[in-house]
Amino acid sequence: MEILLEAFRSLGKDKLRTFLSMLGIVIGVIAVIVAIAIGAGTTANVTARISSLGSNVIIITPGFTGGFGGRAAVALTSVLQETDVQNIQQMAPDVADVTPILQKSFNVIYQATNTVVTVVGAYPDTFSILDLPLQSGRLLNQNDENSDANVAVIGNTIATTLFGNEDPVGQTVYVSTGSFQVPLTIVGELQQTGSKLTFNPDNMLIIPYTTAAAKLIQLNGGVSQIIASAKSAQTALNAVDEINNILYMRLQNTNQYRVISQNQILSTVSQTTDVLTLLLASIAAISMVVGGIGIMNIMLVSVTERTKEIGVKMAMGATRRRIMVEFLVESMFITIVAGAIGVGLSFLIAAIVTYLASGLGLTVIITWPSIVLSFGVSVAIGLFFGLYPAYLASKKSPVEALRYE
Amino acid sequence: MAALLELKNVKKIYDMGRDIQVEALKGVSFSIEEGSYTAIMGHSGSGKSTLLQIMGCLDRATSGDIIIKGTAVKDMNDFQLAKFRNKTIGFVFQSFNLIGNLTAIENVELPMIYAGVPRAERRKRAMELLKLVGLEEPEERAFHRPNQLSGGQQQRVAIARALANDPAVILADEPTGNLATNQWRRILDIFKRLNESGKTIIIVTHDPLVGQEATRIITLEDGAIIKDERIR
Repeated sequence: MEILLEAFRSLGKDKLRTFLSMLGIVIGVIAVIVAIAIGAGTTANVTARISSLGSNVIIITPGFTGGFGGRAAVALTSVLQETDVQNIQQMAPDVADVTPILQKSFNVIYQATNTVVTVVGAYPDTFSILDLPLQSGRLLNQNDENSDANVAVIGNTIATTLFGNEDPVGQTVYVSTGSFQVPLTIVGELQQTGSKLTFNPDNMLIIPYTTAAAKLIQLNGGVSQIIASAKSAQTALNAVDEINNILYMRLQNTNQYRVISQNQILSTVSQTTDVLTLLLASIAAISMVVGGIGIMNIMLVSVTERTKEIGVKMAMGATRRRIMVEFLVESMFITIVAGAIGVGLSFLIAAIVTYLASGLGLTVIITWPSIVLSFGVSVAIGLFFGLYPAYLASKKSPVEALRYE
Repeated sequence: MAALLELKNVKKIYDMGRDIQVEALKGVSFSIEEGSYTAIMGHSGSGKSTLLQIMGCLDRATSGDIIIKGTAVKDMNDFQLAKFRNKTIGFVFQSFNLIGNLTAIENVELPMIYAGVPRAERRKRAMELLKLVGLEEPEERAFHRPNQLSGGQQQRVAIARALANDPAVILADEPTGNLATNQWRRILDIFKRLNESGKTIIIVTHDPLVGQEATRIITLEDGAIIKDERIR
């Protein structure tokens, strides 16, 4: 008890020095907690966004050529075929629906506005598989397919780009292939959905599959992507395996295609964010170590300055152990108080970050383990970096310490 | 009278490195009786400070025996020596050496903290001791920091601290060296009073006027005793 009081007194004597030596630990603790909080928040955000896709959706895309020796990886087009769609339909028992997609970027023109848009040729069931809700007008239907109708459903963002505040439904846009233009009548507008795995419907113009195949995107039986849905979330992984097997039978090369399900993406994303969080936290932890070195420095100075005091205390009967504990208590006092201040301030900083970054969709979630970890580490730093100065203090010869001026 | 402290052929050699050795004490023997008042005198460099450190168990002799209250000092380890100093020896220094962070009364309590005396008891005893050494307005001054006290007041607080655990002997190293003459007298009066009430006192000094206060003067020169006289 007296030791604590004495530590408090001697730290209180030079408040600026104590404050500065605390600062390193305070900043370190804040950095660790906030870094982990941002990591946790990002993970939660991304997870929520991916989950909004619906856990049954499976997307099959062409693979990439290996980016090697400075060559960029290039998507392998025309690998997937319409026959794959039929095979999956017939041979994958855990797949509920499967549908091909044709996809290509075109210049789309409305009056004076001209913008690059991803035009997607899709069958009507695509809307239900991907869960794309309508904002106004209607979705595409089988009649549109049967008649190769020049109609389109427009994504929310691109509708604003092309039409501004005008209602796009009923308007006609022109898709330019370079050599000719294809007119499309907008029959419906989608609600804003955000990205769905490899798709961003907000930036798409969706037209009937047959229209696309006949007039805009001729792949000779090839398809851009295949979208499937598993019968249930539980069988999604089985469905992925079945699709993989079916594609492997024909292509004999796993690099030629990719089968992506929400679960896989979730685990990839969480691995990625975990690594990022770890990286951020490690950098932050380094600042705690630097803070610890600062404390060690201050304690060494303090031990030297108080050499005479140490000598007097030894003469009065303080044991070496007692002297050691006195200095150790001081350094730990610094780090415990600094750790507590850091934990407190990190809530404040988290609130500020949340406020400033709310537009970026950045969420900050402070987790208990990060608090316990950073506080524990700061206490451990006080112990570790305080040990050597305290040891030096305790090893002083009473005679020499008393002679010190 | 029984011997409280006994030195037998004590030598102290300082190794200065490069094979240079300084023999500060060249085989000193004497004994101090309980309740006596001894002055150890000598010029600077005579070895009197070294002798005080060795008698005070702050330093170890290179050879020879020191026996205090029947205990051989050289058989004790650092921990035992610290405990021994705490209980048996009260130091008074030339420059007072009060701890600056602590109030006067806390300074007096310090040796009692090391001895494990309960808080209430040591506060009570510390206050009694401050009154004993004649600190003016003790109820108020007790809670002043050393830098708020005069030199004479600080030295009285230091004497109270030395008395805290009722030690067998008070070792004072030039206790008046940093004091003005009027304070000087008061400090010596305290030592005299303490001695009259039975406390064993050893004062190390180069000042003959201080030496005259004692009943015995041991004079050192060049690490050896050249004179040992009882003057009262």
